[in-house]
Amino acid sequence: MTAAIDIQHIDKSFGRVKALDGLDLRVETGTVHGFLGPNGAGKSTTIRILLGLLRADAGQARMLGGDPWADAVTLHRRLAYVPGDVELWPNLTGGEAIDLFARLRGGTDPVRRDELCQRFDLDPSKKGRTYSKGNRQKVALIAALASDVELLLLDEPTAGLDPLMEAVFQECIRQAKDAGRTVLLSSHILAQVEVLADQISIIRQGQIVETGSLTELRHLTRTSVDAVTDRPADNLAGLAGVHGLHTQDGHVRFEVDGDQLAAVVRELGELGVQGLTVRPPTLEQLLLRHYGDQRVRDGAAQVRS
Amino acid sequence: MTTATASRSVPALARRASAVTGTGTLLRFMLRRDRIRFPAWTLGLTLLMTYFATALDTIVQSPADLAGMTAFTGSPAGALFGGRGFGFDELTLERFLAGQYGLYVAVGAALMGLLTVVRHTRAEERSGRAELVRANVVGRYAQLTAALALAATMALLVALLIGGLLISRGYDPGGSLLFGASVGAVALAFAGVAAVTAQLSEYPRAASGMAGAALGAAFVLRGLGDMAAVQGSGPSWLSWLSPIGWSQQTAPYVHDRWWPLAVSLAFTAAATAIGFALSARRDFGAGLVPPRPGSPRAAAWLASPFALAFRLHRASLIGWSASLLVAGLAYGSFTQPMLDGFENAPEDLVAIIGGADNLLAGFLGMLGLTMALTVGVYAVLAVQSLRAEEAEGRAESVLATAVSRRAWLGSHVAVAALGVPWLLLVAGLGMGIGAAVSTGDAGLLGDLVLGHLAHTPAVWLVLAAAALLYAAAPRALPVVWVVLGYGLIAGYFAPILEIPEGALRLSPFEHVGEYPLEEVSVVAVVVLAVLAGGLVQAAVTVFRRRDLAGGA
Repeated sequence: MTAAIDIQHIDKSFGRVKALDGLDLRVETGTVHGFLGPNGAGKSTTIRILLGLLRADAGQARMLGGDPWADAVTLHRRLAYVPGDVELWPNLTGGEAIDLFARLRGGTDPVRRDELCQRFDLDPSKKGRTYSKGNRQKVALIAALASDVELLLLDEPTAGLDPLMEAVFQECIRQAKDAGRTVLLSSHILAQVEVLADQISIIRQGQIVETGSLTELRHLTRTSVDAVTDRPADNLAGLAGVHGLHTQDGHVRFEVDGDQLAAVVRELGELGVQGLTVRPPTLEQLLLRHYGDQRVRDGAAQVRS
Repeated sequence: MTTATASRSVPALARRASAVTGTGTLLRFMLRRDRIRFPAWTLGLTLLMTYFATALDTIVQSPADLAGMTAFTGSPAGALFGGRGFGFDELTLERFLAGQYGLYVAVGAALMGLLTVVRHTRAEERSGRAELVRANVVGRYAQLTAALALAATMALLVALLIGGLLISRGYDPGGSLLFGASVGAVALAFAGVAAVTAQLSEYPRAASGMAGAALGAAFVLRGLGDMAAVQGSGPSWLSWLSPIGWSQQTAPYVHDRWWPLAVSLAFTAAATAIGFALSARRDFGAGLVPPRPGSPRAAAWLASPFALAFRLHRASLIGWSASLLVAGLAYGSFTQPMLDGFENAPEDLVAIIGGADNLLAGFLGMLGLTMALTVGVYAVLAVQSLRAEEAEGRAESVLATAVSRRAWLGSHVAVAALGVPWLLLVAGLGMGIGAAVSTGDAGLLGDLVLGHLAHTPAVWLVLAAAALLYAAAPRALPVVWVVLGYGLIAGYFAPILEIPEGALRLSPFEHVGEYPLEEVSVVAVVVLAVLAGGLVQAAVTVFRRRDLAGGA
């Protein structure tokens, strides 16, 4: 499989702030790739380097077989971009902005444009200054989705949309994937990425810390276990892979590493289980593990080095 | 029985009180919010009046000087831009102040009134802050009442300050207070107009725009009426259709009549009543005039970066064209009185213009330079708007399409560069017509148009320098103002400051020649144009190398 985006070890600093620190990212052609990270992790910087708006300090980036900086204009004919914070011209209508973007990109499908306006419930005759944030976002989304392009770069594209519109958006992305397009979807709305993405990369402080399919990532994560046992379960704390164990009146709560799950469940059975809840990790927990728990993170860094 | 009556009357009382409940609190809150604006407006207008009075004192040294002023002010053009000039046949300083400059103080007061009301009503509603306020114990009419009370306070203060200022200069107290009150009355009248327009549209800009249009109409109506009055024929009653006209008809220091202000107050009361009535007929946040939808599709021509740049600069170009045309007409029509006035002027002043032998040519050349510097301001602002496009993320969206940086920057600079000769032409035409009418010499039209257009390459150089600064280091863009500032000093004060020739040549405006005083130097035109072209080329090249700012 060829890669639509292939970034190798990119650095980017703004003054003394290091925004990207040896970032690697590979997006296969025809896939939806979720790009997850908290604010300020470097998601937008990465996308803006791919757009040739910023120049990387070091490293190599290839997109659709070209150089994002040197071949910006020719590449832009083959991609569409939706920024996280869409700004429109106050005295141009939404419809004018949609047409303008499409024409500057090199053509659009007018039927699809009108259909999208309807699906997203956008009134294209209103002036830019009268749109709410969500409606401005719709304008950029429609302009991008109506274009016949190979690659969609979407930077937190649904931040201002209501749940109904988000459903429409998910449908549109599935259709784009069916049409063979590649989508890079940056987000911190985890549910959205979970639903749409084939592959996920998690970025933290300018580096990709995890990458793979959701199933692959789940192997790396902990499962939450909540159980009521006949006998005290304090001994479980000594088992390998068990973290954060709490017991109270025969009620036990802990997390267990994915590869140690089988051994722990066997041990639990011996204690006379009366009730058991096991939850797979959500992406929130994935993120929390990477960003929330400083000690765990430091520990991991030491192990890695 | 008694309890029943009491319990029924309490809600009735409460209902009556509720419509304006909270007005006092809101007014105090508005005063707190406007703690800068309030003194800025009231003291600013007083200062403007002080400036006019002091300037007049400096210009007019003798009764002959004063008589010379009437040559212009007595003309129809003078009436259009000043007033009908009560008592100008026996002119005094205070009569001239009230009759000629009073108009501009009145216009300032009108702006104060209408902007204050819109700011505290529609702008608050639009921003959503008023919703928070209205959710408290605040009556339906409280916001508008408080805004009007604020505007009325400002108007009263302006009236007293200006009246006091004029009395302190030794002018007749009765006339001085009447003039102050006339200015205040205009502020009140347009606060009333704004109380109506604020109900009409959802958008504060549209509300002040409509009130501003009413102000423009008031200015023109009384202008036409005053012209007719000066000529002694025509519809001089038109002045009586204008709130500014009513204030001017008080004729301070001449007839000293107070009754036209009663018309003004009646108008204010009526407008305010309409405003309240309309505000009760609409929903909160809504306007009575539905927002006008635009085109749901882009026009066929809007398909290239150049077309987009033109579309974005269009509104500003139209505004600049209109202002420069009017300013040109106004300045140009001063030609004859200026020449008359300068016959006895001090030598230094004459030297700035170009010496006693070349007064006319010097004055016209000076006008050209003034407009060239003004169009220079347009050029710098046009480049500054690019910074906003970039910082606010709109440039990013365009550059993410198949538009190269060269095309994006080049298009914007090209539109601004084409705007430069266009604006100079418009200003030159306005000046030319004004000067030709004022002096009766039609040939001045051609001279002024050529003299203005000749400055094009100098302004281009300023534009190109601004573009290069923007492309290389956007934060350094304001540095380009130095070029315009130096152009101003070199152009106006070189003879007084005795700036050496070499230093003078640093200003781009000192090479082409101030036609018709000096011949237009073709070499300078070509050199400046080539230099400007080179700088733009450099700008485009540098811009391709840097990171784009803004966005996330």
